[in-house]
Amino acid sequence: MSMISKENFSETLKFWPRHNEALYRRLESKNSWLEERRGPREKGDPDPLENEMVLNIGPQHPATHGVLRCAVRLDGETIERCAVDIGFLHRGIEKMAENKTYQEYMPYTDRMDYLAPYANNVGWCLAVEKAAGIEVPERAQWIRMLMSELSRITSHLIWMGVGLMDAGAVSVFLWTFRYREDLYTIFDHVCGARLTVSHSRIGGIASDIPDDAIDLIEAFVADFPDAIRGWEKLLNRNRIWIDRNVGVGVLSREEVIALGMTGPNLRGSGIPHDIRVFEPYLKYDEVDFTVPVREDGDCFSRYHVRMEEMKESLKIVRQCLEKLKTVRGPIRVDDAKRSYPSKDEVYYSMEGLIHDFMYTDTGVCPPRGIWSYHAVEAPKGELGFYIQSDGTGRPFRARINAPSFSNIQGLEALMEGALIGDMVMLIGTIDPVLGEADK
Amino acid sequence: MATGRSLPFHFTPVDGPRQTEAGTNPHAKDTTFVPDTVEALQGRFGGAVLEVFLYAGEHTVYVDRSSVVDVCRFLKEELSYEYLADLGGIDLFTDEDRFEVFYNLVSFSAKKRIRLKIRVPEAEPVAPSITPVFAAANWNERECWDMFGIRFDGHPDLRRMYMPEDFEYHPLRKEFPLLGVPGSLPLPPQAPEAGLTLDPFAAAHGSKPVKSFQEARSDLADQ
Amino acid sequence: MAPDPVTGGEGFLTTRVDAVLNWARSNSLMPMPMGLACCAIELMAMADPKYDVARFGSEAMRFSPRQADLMIVAGWVSYKMAHTIRRVWDQMADPKWCIAVGACASTGGMHRCYGVVQGCDNFLPVDVYVSGCPPRPEAIIHALMDIQEKVRNEYTAADDSGSGDRRPEPAPLRPRVLTPGGDRVISPVALYDQENL
Ligand code: SF4
Repeated sequence: MSMISKENFSETLKFWPRHNEALYRRLESKNSWLEERRGPREKGDPDPLENEMVLNIGPQHPATHGVLRCAVRLDGETIERCAVDIGFLHRGIEKMAENKTYQEYMPYTDRMDYLAPYANNVGWCLAVEKAAGIEVPERAQWIRMLMSELSRITSHLIWMGVGLMDAGAVSVFLWTFRYREDLYTIFDHVCGARLTVSHSRIGGIASDIPDDAIDLIEAFVADFPDAIRGWEKLLNRNRIWIDRNVGVGVLSREEVIALGMTGPNLRGSGIPHDIRVFEPYLKYDEVDFTVPVREDGDCFSRYHVRMEEMKESLKIVRQCLEKLKTVRGPIRVDDAKRSYPSKDEVYYSMEGLIHDFMYTDTGVCPPRGIWSYHAVEAPKGELGFYIQSDGTGRPFRARINAPSFSNIQGLEALMEGALIGDMVMLIGTIDPVLGEADK
Repeated sequence: MATGRSLPFHFTPVDGPRQTEAGTNPHAKDTTFVPDTVEALQGRFGGAVLEVFLYAGEHTVYVDRSSVVDVCRFLKEELSYEYLADLGGIDLFTDEDRFEVFYNLVSFSAKKRIRLKIRVPEAEPVAPSITPVFAAANWNERECWDMFGIRFDGHPDLRRMYMPEDFEYHPLRKEFPLLGVPGSLPLPPQAPEAGLTLDPFAAAHGSKPVKSFQEARSDLADQ
Repeated sequence: MAPDPVTGGEGFLTTRVDAVLNWARSNSLMPMPMGLACCAIELMAMADPKYDVARFGSEAMRFSPRQADLMIVAGWVSYKMAHTIRRVWDQMADPKWCIAVGACASTGGMHRCYGVVQGCDNFLPVDVYVSGCPPRPEAIIHALMDIQEKVRNEYTAADDSGSGDRRPEPAPLRPRVLTPGGDRVISPVALYDQENL
């Protein structure tokens, strides 16, 4: 093993040399190897401090909301060029999907957008149900919808807490986490897990929603509007918050479409595109809600969109609670070829046990040679799953259209021309989750 | 024909096709059913539209690889499909036309969605880049290059998306093992003075983690 | 008035420097949260008002490795990220400790796939492993208490001053590395020069 002396120490620590070189080449900077130069500076080299500077932000930086790396070229305080590098959480879940049964793969979707796992579960299950043509009982649909909306609130809460912490207000983080803990308790009662819920099943859901959870949700719904009102009072006319948000990160209608951004980023620029309205799934065509849209396209309008969305989610949650009182019935399809049999059947009948075994082993098999795509409106935007089947119990190809991936793509354009001090606001405002973007 | 194409991977018993469900899918959406657009494409591009596939109320149009940019431009400029929702690759693992690339386009005003597909042969895995038409395709095409090794002609910046450039393989190809190729990705040094490790499953091969009290002092910390 | 139970009414107490140092150290661990994935969300929850890690003196999360002495790796570690983590670890000042939070950081967990290092102990000396996917904040706090106990029982002053017993020479770290070409020792130079390997 070659020993490394102090002299060539930094040389050895230079990891992924080709990768970094390509990234720096992208910045088109003459001082690219500022951090990891090869050898000492030559006589004729330009002084890096004179005009431009290359700065590496992340992947381990508290404001990057995960492991996002931005290599930026600065001119003074202005970002001239930005190269975003993702993939630090890449584990190949699309590859893993090809090696798992459809049901087995569902827990992996929890770990994509881990701020709103329930929405991902629902998205995957709906995609498989579309590919296999499975109809879901009504009660399950209402419960899925209720929980998806609650998970939208958890996601927006963390966006708010962390976003404001980036702007310097740590106390908001503590407040939002108080309500997140309430929601976690609800998830805990419904699913048995706080974060990675894995509650949705293909053809329905795992278990009915217990009564104490309904009480908790009702208490939360009664309590939460007050909290939002308080935060809006604090923030809407807050001088610091306005100064840091208004006119920062402006994206026009044409730009957001061209960059392919989704979700609140799209709606913050005046495009009323929401999958819940565009192609209604579950029971979204039966509830009454509006899609909040703002026209300005800056960070402040995106902030407003997300705040309004939380209120709209509460509205949907209330309607779901109302509906759940009257809509009774099964929570999973009664067809053991398409969905898990109930635990009663499994424990007390031979067929149930065999079916359970078969479903775990093979599971649902969509027809051979088909493909389909189903999208849901996750808190971050359009989350779609494209499934191609070869007739077996495992997807031949599962493609995940992750909203954060599309949104981070817009980040590069958003950063170029902005001030370095606004960088944390810009990353916060597009609300990326790297687990999802990195697949 | 696309429906009858046999895919060579069978991990589990094969369930027979249930084509009857195609028309009555409970999750079929109005947005994806676009016969008008398909007709317009066929009228305009004729032979370049290879075949049309319909399942669960979703239209997929296979177009010729060379004309995909024109098709996209036509869809964008004349049929108002202005938004690229998704782009990705598929490895069919067949002998000819091994790869596919699909494009998922959305029209906000018409409330429609259409999927285009092109086929890409293994011998020449190159597809034309649609970034001049849809700038949003940039990262998706990079991802496709990273995962499948399909090059995109005319792409402004074809780097790998997820894996480091130092990685040589394209992991979503079917022949790439799930657990990776040993030695393809180095682990960091085990101690400040040690070298990189080439073995991705070091623990499986008997490597013991270093206890912190045994660890050599880090020079970097003193600096 | 009853005599003070600690000082026995004498107004002073005697102890070893080590014990005081370790006691002080254990109650003011400065974590460097290497939050990578889902477990990082539970790590954040650990600091929230409900779980309140400030009770253990570790609420001051330090994102700069120079100011931290406890690295909490929370989430799966990809090969691409591993080098960064190791580099951050190398920059932390001694003494330092490491917690692997969750199944992924401990063993690779459910992500048995090409991109993920199967346990961050492949390149980091981990002191405490926390099971769970994700572990509840209570479990992470428990890990923190384990670290505190470890710190209190450590005998470090002799090493630090250099006057006591010398620290034993560390065992050879990784005597052999399996390379695709057999059991050969490899140098970093050869690594990027695959043809001549
Ligand atoms: S252990 Fe589970 S929760 Fe934690 S990072 Fe891994 S997958 Fe996520």
